[in-house]
Parts: sequence; C-alpha cells; structure tokens
Amino acid sequence: MAKVKVATVWLESCAGCHMSFLDVDEFIIDLVNLVEFRRSPITDIKDFTPVTVGIVEGSVGNEEEKEVIEALRHNCQILMALGDCACFGGVCAMRNTFNKEDVLKRAYIDTPSTYQGKIPLSPGVPALLDKVYPANQIVKVDCYVPGCPPEPEAIKYGLTELLAGRIPVVPSNIMRFD
Amino acid sequence: MSEIRLLINGKQVTGQQGDSVLDVCIANGVDLPTLCHYKGLTDVGACRLCLVEIEKERNFVPACTHPARDGQVVTTSNEKLEKYRRLILELLFTERNHLCAYCVASGDCELQSLAYKYQMDNARYQYAWPTQVTDSSNPFIVLDHNRCILCGRCIRTCDEITGAHALDFGKRGWKTNVCADINQPLGESSCISCGGCFQACPTGAIFSKASAYRGKPEECTTVESTCAICGVGCEIKGLVKNNRVVRIDSADMTRPRGLLCEMGRFEPLYDSADRVTTPLKRNSKGQLAGCSYEEAFAAIAKKFDASDSVSGLASGKASSEALKAFAELMDKIGSKLVDTLDGDDYRTISQGIAKFDGKAGLDIEARLEDILTADCIVVIGAHPTKSHPVIGSYIMRAASKNKAQLIVLDPLRNPFTFRASVWLKPPEGKKGLAVKALGKAIIDHGLPKAAGDKSKFSADFKNVDVKKASQDLGIDVHDITKAAQILAESRNSIIIYGSGILAYKDADLVATILNLAALVGDKPRVISLKRYGNSRGAWELGLGNPRAPVASDLAKGKAKGLYLLLADDLTESQVLADSLKGVEFTVVQASYLSPVTARADIVLPSMLWTESKGSYTTIDGLSKKTAPMVKAHTDIKTDADTLKEVARCLKK
Repeated sequence: MAKVKVATVWLESCAGCHMSFLDVDEFIIDLVNLVEFRRSPITDIKDFTPVTVGIVEGSVGNEEEKEVIEALRHNCQILMALGDCACFGGVCAMRNTFNKEDVLKRAYIDTPSTYQGKIPLSPGVPALLDKVYPANQIVKVDCYVPGCPPEPEAIKYGLTELLAGRIPVVPSNIMRFD
Repeated sequence: MSEIRLLINGKQVTGQQGDSVLDVCIANGVDLPTLCHYKGLTDVGACRLCLVEIEKERNFVPACTHPARDGQVVTTSNEKLEKYRRLILELLFTERNHLCAYCVASGDCELQSLAYKYQMDNARYQYAWPTQVTDSSNPFIVLDHNRCILCGRCIRTCDEITGAHALDFGKRGWKTNVCADINQPLGESSCISCGGCFQACPTGAIFSKASAYRGKPEECTTVESTCAICGVGCEIKGLVKNNRVVRIDSADMTRPRGLLCEMGRFEPLYDSADRVTTPLKRNSKGQLAGCSYEEAFAAIAKKFDASDSVSGLASGKASSEALKAFAELMDKIGSKLVDTLDGDDYRTISQGIAKFDGKAGLDIEARLEDILTADCIVVIGAHPTKSHPVIGSYIMRAASKNKAQLIVLDPLRNPFTFRASVWLKPPEGKKGLAVKALGKAIIDHGLPKAAGDKSKFSADFKNVDVKKASQDLGIDVHDITKAAQILAESRNSIIIYGSGILAYKDADLVATILNLAALVGDKPRVISLKRYGNSRGAWELGLGNPRAPVASDLAKGKAKGLYLLLADDLTESQVLADSLKGVEFTVVQASYLSPVTARADIVLPSMLWTESKGSYTTIDGLSKKTAPMVKAHTDIKTDADTLKEVARCLKK
C-alpha cells in the first residue's frame, strides 16, 4: 500500500502540539511505515504539494498564516485541527478582547523594556488580522484534536482513525482543553 | 404530599407532588446535564441544558423549572435533545472567554466537564469577544466576568443561603453581568466575603485568591471537620495538598450549619503568623531560647511546687480536651484562681440567668436554628456579621425569606440596621433603659391573653415611664411603641445580644433581656454571642470563675505564678501582656509568638485547631468535633498531652 501523504503546518502557536505529537513514543515507528511527511516543521520542507491529510497547529492571526492555511486546505483532502489554538483560538486569542492597534502599541511601544519603539510597517512583516481566529473560521476543517497540548493518546487516536478511513471524534476520556 | 408516577425514558418512576421533573430525575438516578441548578437553590432555568421532551408539551421544557405531574411521559435524551445540548455548550463557549488553557478552574469546571462529555471539539459560532473586566477588589475573592456564563448560582447563593444579597444581575440583554450592589467593585460593596459564591460557581468566574493554582480537587485529600473559630460550629470540608490547606468548602451548604463565613473559609488559608515550634525558656541573659520539653517541665515543676499562689487562665479557643486537662492540672496545683479570658462574659451571663431563674443554666438559651424560623428578631448590642458572620447570615435569611421583622437596638450602624423594621438608637450606656422602655411599651400594648400569667416577668418593667424614657434616650416614642407592637404580636421571637451588652458587665441587664423575652414568648428565647469558639465548653467545664476576674488580680500583682493556656488564640492584646508584668513566673502555652509569649518565662507550643482532633461546644451547647486537616510541626504535642505531662512532673 502506498504511504499516506501528510503535511503539517505551524501557525500562531507555541509548537507544543508538534512536541506532543513526538510524545506518541513507539507509535511513531508504526506511523513512519504508513505515512510520508511532506511540508512540515519536522521535515523543514517549505513548499506545498497535494497530500491526503493536512494537519494545522495554531490559530490564524496574520496575513501570512491566513495564506498558509488556505494553501494547505487547497492541497489536502482532509484537514485536521490540532490543539486548542487551531480548534478554539487558544492562548493567542487572548488579544481578541483588545483592538489590534492597542495590541501593537502595547507590544512595540509601551512595554517597559522598549526604548523608542515603533510598530513595524515593512511589507516583509505580515500584517496582523483584526482578530485571532480558530482554523474553522477561515477554512473548512474536517476533524479536531483539542488540547493544550493535546494528549499524545488523543493524537494517536486521531491519526489511527484517519488511517483507518474514519473521521475521528476524540472520546471524552482522553479529551483535554488544558 | 402525595406520590406521583411518571414514565421517564420508558421506566416507571415515582416522585412527590411539588417536585420538578429534574427533582424526580435526580431522585431516580436519571442522568441529566445541568449548569444553573445547584442543590438547595431555587431553580431558574437559565442554562437550558436540562431540556427534556414531555409528551403533549408543545416545546422542549427545562426539567428544573417544569413541575412533575402524574402520568407525564418524559424523554431526557434523544438525537435532537443531544444536538441542542451541544449547541448550547458551543454558544456558551463562544459568548465570552472560555479558553481553558489559562483558566484557574480548569480541571474543576462543570462547563469543561460537559464539553468533554459532549465531545465538543470545536465551536461552530463566531466568538463574541466582549470586553469584560476582572474585579479583584475583594481581599479574598476574584470576580472574572470573562469566565461567567450567567447561570446565577452565585446570586442565588448570596441571596438564599448567605442572606446578604450583595450580588445580582446588572444591565440588560447582551450586556447582562453579575454585579455587586449598584455595580460597585466587590471589595467596596456589601459583600461579606463568605465565599459561598465561589463554592457555587460552576466555572472560573469566581475564585479564591488563596486557593488559585494551589491544587485541583483531584490532587487533594479531603478532610471533613468542623470550624472551631467562632462557636457556631459550621461543618467544613478541607482540601489539603502537601500538608497545606488549599481550600475550605462547606460540606453541604443546604444544611443549617453548612454555610461558611469569611473566617471559616479563608482564615486558615492566610495563616502566616510566627509559630511557637519548640518549648522556650528564659535563659540567664533574660532571653527566650529553645529548650527540650524535659527542661521546660522541670523548670515549671520547680517554680509551681514552691509557690502557693498559682493562677490559671485559659482561652476559650482551646479544645474541650485541652481545657479538661487544664482544669485537672490546676486542681493538682491546688489553685483556686482559675478563669477564662472571657470570664467577665461568663459572670455577666450566668449571674443574669440566675437572677432571671435561680434554677436555670446556660441551657436556657435558644438554638441557633431558631433564628431561621423566627418571625421577629431583636438584635441588642451585637454585631454578628463581624463577630459570628454565620449568625448574621441566619438573621438576614430569616428577614428576607421568612419576612421576619427585625428590631435593632444599638447606637451603632450594622448591616441589619437598614433592613430593620425599627432601629432604636439609645445613647451609649443607656441600652438598659431602652430595653426597659421597650418592655413597658409591650405591657402597655397588651399581652395576648393566651400567654398566661406574665406578672413575674413584667415586674422588672413596672417603674418605667415610656414617654419620659423616650425623652431621656432621644428616641421617638413612636419607634418604641412600634417595636413593642411588633414584638407583642410576634409568635416566634428571638433576642440576640452580644459584646455591646456584655461590655457593661451588668447581670441585671441580662436578666432584663431575659424578662423581655419571657414576656413575649412561652419561653424566653435568647442567644448570647460568646467570644471564642469554645467559650461555652470552657464554662461548662467550670473554668469560668464564678466570683472575681483573675486577670485583674494579675495586674495587682497578687498571683506569684500563672499558667496561661492561649492555644491558637492570637491575642495581640497588649493589655493581657501588660497584666503579666506583676507575675513572678508565667507559663504560656500558645501556637503563635505574640506580645504575651514575649512576657513569659516558659513558652510551650500548642497546635492549631486545623492540626488536632478536638471537641468544641458551640454557642448553643452542641458538641462538635474537629479532625486534623494538616500535620503540625513534629515537636508540637497536643495541648492535652502537654498539660498532662506538666501535671505528671509536679510533686504536689
């Protein structure tokens, strides 16, 4: 059987979900025999090619992240949101109770350690979106594995179900939001 | 109450007339998700999670507010209901900030548990992200509106259980928020910091500063005990992690002694005073230095064996076991000069009762639960919200739930004065006259014929002229007659008096209060607010000196030796410390270092009530037991053991 092609992306988040993915222990050996990782922070491949499964870690908070998740959606058949940031907005969404200008001012000008700071306006720096969004508010998402980070058990469950051709819904006993 | 029969999920079950559908489900073990329902509170149907389908009803109905009727056919779970429940959860999650990763309640949150149960792995709705504030102005409790689901459990607890009704909903519709008083910061409101709201909150919207991030319930061991602080004897449940009390909950807020107050819920969590951890002995340089128990006991025995005038003073904060051992020790020493720190209160109350009825004792006083059923409550010279907050809650609950009439006789404002039907403000020092004028006005108003012969009690008030008294007191005579009318017409009145009366040390005044109570009731229903958690226990053991205060003898230098059992009484009282000046040799047994221990020649360590097993007698004479929640320092023995060993070392 040909290996299932998987791409993962790391958007606005701490990379903890990818770390937790590496915590699945010996399951990773079985997994390598079944899947082939394409674009991923683990493989360091930067370009998108069509894959079966796309996995997104992190919320969408700036223009670049929006482009990346749209490109991933375009290139994958099934999209899985991994972790609280992708599922709900997570820690990054804390900024949503303030407006964008205040957040930028606070980060680049008001912080006590900043001297003569200014808000970066270079076109090379992706502009912030007005709010931080969970993945399903930007593109269609097919399945979710929440958690901050998700339990390795839950990640294993999600991937096993996908490989078996089913859409996973994490069972209550291994679901965690923290 | 007649029995009704229902069919729930195809199963025949029974309930009582007057039950809600939810009551019947709970009684029959039918699982139904709820968020705004809380045991003991009125149901309001705010969260809509308990929606059920009932045959012949037009819509799904909330089980908690829908009355159960005979013959109802109820379905609690089907595809549509479960779909709606999940939808409600998603709406709740997107309404405010319910991201668990940085919430203090994560792992102990009913909203989170339900989301797990319904496998809610995403929310289909746009997040509202309203701008909410976090109110941390209260010293103990934080009110984080971002986490609030507006279930109203805190509000109903504050009103129906605590009786304070400091919290309520403010604003309208989308902007609705829980607010204190007229939208004031919690710390500046009429909130009495009882923490009931924090226990009732299903999410992280209300949390305790001292408990936050100290341990989730699943990581803690639970110890059921009794609070020994004030003498109400509330049942508590201590959550302990790493030998530290991280949270104190009420074991069951619906039980009469199940509501807690600021002292019981938070005091043990904020305990930071310096402890006495080993025996201390004054050395040749005149400084207190650590020593062994044997050295300390030998020094005590040497002095006390040689002295013929040793006094004993005990705090009513010690357990009955400790006080009993103390009484035995004093007996062995042969001391006649034994008293409690609140001995003046003892003499005033017991002599007052004796004057009222020579055969009666402290048993004549009413039970605290009687407050909850009273239809008229008179508060004389007491501030229970400060001294015994749970009694304050009882009074406020009776006033709001039973519409009990409240009469306050006190020159000072307290939380009851604004709820009172009549507030009599006699000038300081003239409370006795005010009580007498009230009694006379009741006689003038006329006692119910059924009451029988009251001449024995009315004699006390005979020589008072109400009009003249009202001029002397500066109280409107109409206020006195109105209060008299309320009292005379009540069927179930109770009088509560406290430090404002006891401070006069006037037994006649106590007898007058008892006479007043006897005038309007078939038996006098009176409660005196005693100062310490085990005051009554100490007095019942005979430690209160019936004649003279021992403390004043100390100041005069009459006693050569003194054994002072302070236990966990944190008496910073300079007066007590100063009175020790004239004593040649003082032994203090205390938990904390204080000005009093600084004056001692020998200091023996003592356990806290949270560390030891002990019995305490409540204000109204119930015996309650504490269980150790945490372990004391290994060198600290129980008070009773220390006292027994001291007694063993004496040669007398």
